Amino acid sequence: MDYFKKMKGITKSPPVVSYTEMLWSWIGAFLGIGAVAYINFNFLEKTDFVMVIGSFGASAVLIYGAIKSPLAQPRNFVGGHLVSAIIGVASYKIFHSQMWLAASIAVATAIVGMHATKTLHPPGGATSLIAVIGSSKIHNLGFMYTVIPVGVGSVIMLVVALLVNNVPKHRKYPEFWL
Amino acid sequence: MKKYSRNRQEYLKKPVDISDDDILEAMREIEGYLDITPADFKEVYQIAYKHAVERLMHFIKARDIMTKEVVFVNKETSLQKTAEIMASHGISGVPVTGDNGEVTGVISEKDFLFHMGSKEATSFMMIIVQCLKNNRCVAVPLRDQKAENIMTKPAITVDENTPLSEIVNIFAQKNINRVPVLDLEKKLVGIVSRADVLQTSFSEVKG
Repeated sequence: MDYFKKMKGITKSPPVVSYTEMLWSWIGAFLGIGAVAYINFNFLEKTDFVMVIGSFGASAVLIYGAIKSPLAQPRNFVGGHLVSAIIGVASYKIFHSQMWLAASIAVATAIVGMHATKTLHPPGGATSLIAVIGSSKIHNLGFMYTVIPVGVGSVIMLVVALLVNNVPKHRKYPEFWL
Repeated sequence: MKKYSRNRQEYLKKPVDISDDDILEAMREIEGYLDITPADFKEVYQIAYKHAVERLMHFIKARDIMTKEVVFVNKETSLQKTAEIMASHGISGVPVTGDNGEVTGVISEKDFLFHMGSKEATSFMMIIVQCLKNNRCVAVPLRDQKAENIMTKPAITVDENTPLSEIVNIFAQKNINRVPVLDLEKKLVGIVSRADVLQTSFSEVKG
């Protein structure tokens, strides 16, 4: 196919979802983000730990708003965050003298790491980036970042997804576990 | 004839051409957000269909689709009798068996046509032309002959376990319309015609 012709696109956008789908996406995201944010702001504020990171907002889109997507399944969601967190922290530790390099290597390697482990989850890219460009609180966590907030936080959100996404008759989650 | 048979085969291998709108409509009917574009779905569908057909072509054997009550004639059977048998059963070809029941050839409408009148008479219309020109029936010279005189030999046969894919290839390559099915002792147990193949493939693939 001609190089520029490819930029025209070949197909149509998927159809809009129903209002009930929108409502259940809202409820799931409200409860999922609510859970991790509540813990973060009410229990962890004065500690060294955090429970909510920006990439969880992106995950909420998938695990509450596009629950059939392969990218939104438990393996991808939890696995993608964990793989990316490890790569992000390692990248910061090795390349922190050159922050631009640490950031770009973190994200690029996270994508490859997720692909290789069949855990591709787009918000994982943000998780690895946050490990590099995040606050000093994040930096001080070191590899603990992969446990709290990333590991525990994503498991909490997964539990909410399992509870909420299976309430409506026409919705079911997950499509697969591993 | 050749073109027609090739079309039939292509038809088998080609999935129903669904449009983007068909896919979008289906996506609307399925609740929730499907993380795939119509074009990608179509590609998946077409490749999956091809795999399904290949699997079925391999999975279905001659024994599954053959007609078991085979009408056949002996090599000694007169052509007049042979023609009567084919006409009364409404079939266009029959296997010809030898003294020990082995299949020695196949006789079809084409063989009759080919042995009537001149060598150009390879279609029904050519026969009509020759009849009208010469003012006599060109089938008469065949009257005293036997099945073995005009049959196509050796017979192209398959065994009971020959997969559908191979049968389809035989039909196309040899440009024939039916193939006798033999068991391990080379005894005639059935016959597979193009109609059998067509019916089976479509019902199986669609079901």
